[in-house]
Amino acid sequence: MSTKTLFLVLCSGEHEKIHMAAMLASVAAVSNRKVEFFVSMNAMLAFEKDLDPQKRYQGGAFSKLMLEKKAPDSVNLLLQGKMLGDMKVYACSMALDMLGWTPDNLVEDLFDSELGLTKFLSDAEEGDLIIV
Amino acid sequence: MAERRKIDARGSFCPGPLMEMIATLKLCEVGDEIEVWSSDRGSAKDIPEWVAKVGHELVSSEEKEDYWSIVVRKAK
Repeated sequence: MSTKTLFLVLCSGEHEKIHMAAMLASVAAVSNRKVEFFVSMNAMLAFEKDLDPQKRYQGGAFSKLMLEKKAPDSVNLLLQGKMLGDMKVYACSMALDMLGWTPDNLVEDLFDSELGLTKFLSDAEEGDLIIV
Repeated sequence: MAERRKIDARGSFCPGPLMEMIATLKLCEVGDEIEVWSSDRGSAKDIPEWVAKVGHELVSSEEKEDYWSIVVRKAK
């Protein structure tokens, strides 16, 4: 792969931002670009295992539209990106600690591991970093 | 012998048609073709862009009444 790795930090719990981040990550991954995706803060709440989609996504007018019109589900989009491309997804260790969660509380088959911000930031020096 | 598969992704929003096409492409043999039907206007540009980037072949892209028909050949 010749292009730089895309490092994405998702900290917003807003459906619109989660979906935009999922689209960026999955399309990049299937376009021969390595992706590293780091989930923290309010975004972590949207990745709780077995949540009803109506409760998983909190957002505004566009969120309503996406749910009504059955836009691709953000979590499924990330799973597809992982399956079809080179994408790693990490759960922020600090956010898990705050919530009293372990990776077992998160959506299955999506997260590769938990990770600290320092390591992620260090790795991101070699690529492009986007924060959502 | 090369085969042609059809994906009817009409009604699916971006990047759904592209992702469906890529998932199907993984299952195809080199030389096989996929015809994607998409009502998402972005697909008419996004799918050819993706095909060129990753090195497959765009066979045709045609606007029908209310959707696009895009044919891609697996090249590698």
